[in-house]
Amino acid sequence: MEEESGEELGLDRSTPKDFHFYHMDLYDSEDRPQLFPEENPRMRKEVVQAETANESTGAGDGKAQSDLREEVEELVHLYGLEDDHELGDEFVDENMPKMGVSEYPPYGMKRRDPAREQRDWRLSGEAAEAEDLGFGGWGSAGQCQDLREVYRYTHGRASEEYECYVIPEEEDEEEAADVFCVTCKTPIRAFQKVFDEHKEHEVIPLSEALESAKDEIHKNMYKLEKQIIDMENFANHLEEVFITVEENFGKQEQNFESHYNEILETLAQKYEEKIQALGEKKKERLEALYGQLVSCGENLDTCKELMETIEEMCHEEKVDFIKDAVAMADRLGKFLKTKTDVEISAQPDFEDQTLDFSDVEQLMDSINTIPAPSAPVINPQAPNSATGSSVRVCWSLYSDDTVESYQLSYRPVQDSSPGKDQAEFTVTIKETYCSVTDLVPNTQYEFWVTAHNRAGPSPSSERAVYVTAPSPPIIKTKEIRSCEEAVLICWESGNLNPVDSYTVELTQAESPEASGVTESVVGIPTCESLVQLQPGQSYIIYVRALNMGGPSVRSEPATVHTIGSYFRLNKDTCHPWLAISQDGLTIIRSERSTPRREPPPSDTRFTRCVAVMGNLIPVRGHHYWEVEVNEHLDYTVGVAFEDVPKQEDLGANCLSWCMRHTFASSRHKYEFLHNRTTPDIRITVPPKKIGILLDYENSKLSFFNVDLSQHLYTFSCQLHKFVHPCFSLEKPGCLKIHNGISMPKHVTFY
Amino acid sequence: MITVSQDQQLDRRRMALKQISSNKCFGGLQKVFEHVSVELNCKMKFAVYLPPKAETGKCPALYWLSGLICTEQNFVSKSGYHQAASEHGFFVIAPDASPRGCNVKGEDESWDFGAGAGFYVDATEDPWKTNYRMYSYVTEELPQLINANFPVDPQRTSIFGHGALICALKNPGKYKSVSAFAPICNPVFCSWGKKAFSGYLGKDQSKWKAYNATHLVKSYPDSQLDILIDQGKDDRFLLDEQLLPDNFIAACTERKIPVAFRLQEGCDHSYYFISTFITDHIRHHAKYLNA
Repeated sequence: MEEESGEELGLDRSTPKDFHFYHMDLYDSEDRPQLFPEENPRMRKEVVQAETANESTGAGDGKAQSDLREEVEELVHLYGLEDDHELGDEFVDENMPKMGVSEYPPYGMKRRDPAREQRDWRLSGEAAEAEDLGFGGWGSAGQCQDLREVYRYTHGRASEEYECYVIPEEEDEEEAADVFCVTCKTPIRAFQKVFDEHKEHEVIPLSEALESAKDEIHKNMYKLEKQIIDMENFANHLEEVFITVEENFGKQEQNFESHYNEILETLAQKYEEKIQALGEKKKERLEALYGQLVSCGENLDTCKELMETIEEMCHEEKVDFIKDAVAMADRLGKFLKTKTDVEISAQPDFEDQTLDFSDVEQLMDSINTIPAPSAPVINPQAPNSATGSSVRVCWSLYSDDTVESYQLSYRPVQDSSPGKDQAEFTVTIKETYCSVTDLVPNTQYEFWVTAHNRAGPSPSSERAVYVTAPSPPIIKTKEIRSCEEAVLICWESGNLNPVDSYTVELTQAESPEASGVTESVVGIPTCESLVQLQPGQSYIIYVRALNMGGPSVRSEPATVHTIGSYFRLNKDTCHPWLAISQDGLTIIRSERSTPRREPPPSDTRFTRCVAVMGNLIPVRGHHYWEVEVNEHLDYTVGVAFEDVPKQEDLGANCLSWCMRHTFASSRHKYEFLHNRTTPDIRITVPPKKIGILLDYENSKLSFFNVDLSQHLYTFSCQLHKFVHPCFSLEKPGCLKIHNGISMPKHVTFY
Repeated sequence: MITVSQDQQLDRRRMALKQISSNKCFGGLQKVFEHVSVELNCKMKFAVYLPPKAETGKCPALYWLSGLICTEQNFVSKSGYHQAASEHGFFVIAPDASPRGCNVKGEDESWDFGAGAGFYVDATEDPWKTNYRMYSYVTEELPQLINANFPVDPQRTSIFGHGALICALKNPGKYKSVSAFAPICNPVFCSWGKKAFSGYLGKDQSKWKAYNATHLVKSYPDSQLDILIDQGKDDRFLLDEQLLPDNFIAACTERKIPVAFRLQEGCDHSYYFISTFITDHIRHHAKYLNA
């Protein structure tokens, strides 16, 4: 108890004036990282020890309790003392609010709800401990909590006293600075705003200030981070450049060295050669001179001998003398006859020797130039890089090479006539690419390239085959068929050689072309496409052909309206006696006295029944069209499968469904024929225009008198395949088809 | 007619309705009411089908006029019209074929004259003229009663059945469309018609023209009327020349009144025949009533 009281005294001492700050000092001061970062772990460790000790002994044991209490109190005392002389109140005052503010609920709320406040306090402490942010405030709060718990275990009831000390902490914090004076850039207490020097100043809530300050810092940190990254990148770059410079200069040095060595070798060789030549020449001349000298000496000897002999002869007797004189005269005569060569055969000075240094010069030159480049590498064709008349050819060189220009050669690839050489073309360019123009569309060309510099041309590159984009397809506008939901569009390739695929592009005609969204159907392998559309719209359709080289330009546009169904008559099915108008929508059987010779049977062409078929789009929806008729005309209108027997009348089989009108003896007869049978139906007003509704969904075919909106008849028909409109004229006259019209309201009831 | 304000009239009529039965059917209600008819001076029953769409708005009204010997019950129980009427959202009103229990001498003597055979004429001869005013009843009194008591759209009214042709041809523009099953097309030339007309209208045959469809067509103004007629080919009354549709068709052809006349193979004069084609007829009316 003594210790406890002493400790309390100590505590009182630590906060002599302001009781509220007491435990702040006690628990928090140690943890301020800016002052004692290294002390934090120590303190924690001690607390943990206290806790574990507490747990091991158990709360029920009085002795152990008191022991522990002593230990803990010692701890507390220690910190209290340390605090005492190290930190003053002002310091706490300044620092503490910053730690607490952002985490704690506003002042007013705390006042009203102390229990919650308590919870928050604990929560923040625990959370901070878990996160271990390293902020002094958070750590201290956690440790506070630890200590408090220790107290609770050790003191039992007595711990409540400590609660009393602990609880004021919140109040204390609440009274700490809670707003931020913008003018002074300092946190202040709210009441200060009222009467202090901050009276006129702009203040904002501290949390706001904190947030903005944090934001500012984060922004700056972000900037710094970015700068660091930039600098690191730059440093890396510099390093690379460094290495490259080293490499390049090293290469250059080697280059120089080898060249100089070469030149020196050449010079040395030349010297050797010269010296040797000179030596030989000297030897030759000396030898010649020596020979001359020797022969000269011999001559001299001979002369001397002759002289001596003559002199001896002069001393001889006459007889002998005469005898000898004759012989001597002969000898002399002979000797004198032999030419004495006194010309010097070799000149002492040598002829003007010009030294040939041209090869050396060339070598010297070659130090400044470079060797002839190696063969460039030609790239394969990049997709979508070609147009119909041009390709863009690219190649690359080895980095060591210096190239002044390239020569690009090409010729069309043609398997058909290998014997006949295709003309080759060559262009010279500086760049490593070339757009070659004036080519034939959808054609393969073989390209190869050589690099040139002063040293000469490189070997030729490999040969690469490039292909020009195709020519645009040609839409068969007369064969376009459409309905409310789709269009079937056909086109001619426009290219002799096959292309890879086609693309159909569609734009809604209403929207201006610039902003209009273009939809594309890609990868169409054949020359026709069924494209789904929205009903009641107008579309502009283009087709492109594609190959490896790229897409062709757009075809000429075709316009499609998805209003009603649109079809034309199929001339291939047309009976020879019928004529079809230019627009493909009027059928005429002329009055001529026809040669009643029946045409030969056919699978596609009507031969007996004077009929023709339309090409309806193969879409299982609703199709509606109208036929303008003369009320005295004999006609049949309806639908039939494509393979309907062409030798039979329409409606005379189970592959066709038709309405037939016959006018005889001023009576109209209407038959609705399928498989040769008809219901008995009488119609009082002859239709001038017949509406025909084909409804795949409900398997129905209905006929209407358009002008009266009168329903005439509806077939229920099993349409397992697609049917086509069919028309026949039993008498001369004409039928006019109206299609591409929207379905009248009244037909929707059938 | 008693002069009362319209409101009082409506009130009286509304009050006068007495519900006899009500049955749920295809989302709607098939009801039968009884009321005291001013025109007929007797209690009358009529059947009315309330379509499901009537709960949310006004619906067209389609009047069915039954043939000889029928009450309001025959059509509602035998024709099977309810599904189509429910889908298209039609009130279908089926009155009795004649006044009942009026104690007119001889009214129950034969099946083709008197009770059950009102022929939708306004009788001018004694003793029939007091009660047998079916034409006025079905074209005036009953529609007013219906309009006052049910959410119907009076502008969209059509008629079909036995007397429908006469009602439509006598009131151009009143009915949006008309159709009939095996109608008596030219009563002045058949024994039924001769008997009924001479009884109700007297011996003066010129008065008969007013209820002769074939004659009425000839004076019908050139307004659009799309007539659908189904006729059983094996109908014994057709073979007995009671119906005479060819005369009507010829008249319509001459006057260019549009008729689609469908002679149905193997069919007779029964409700089996009617129920086979009732959906076609209701669709025919839908084309005009729901246009």
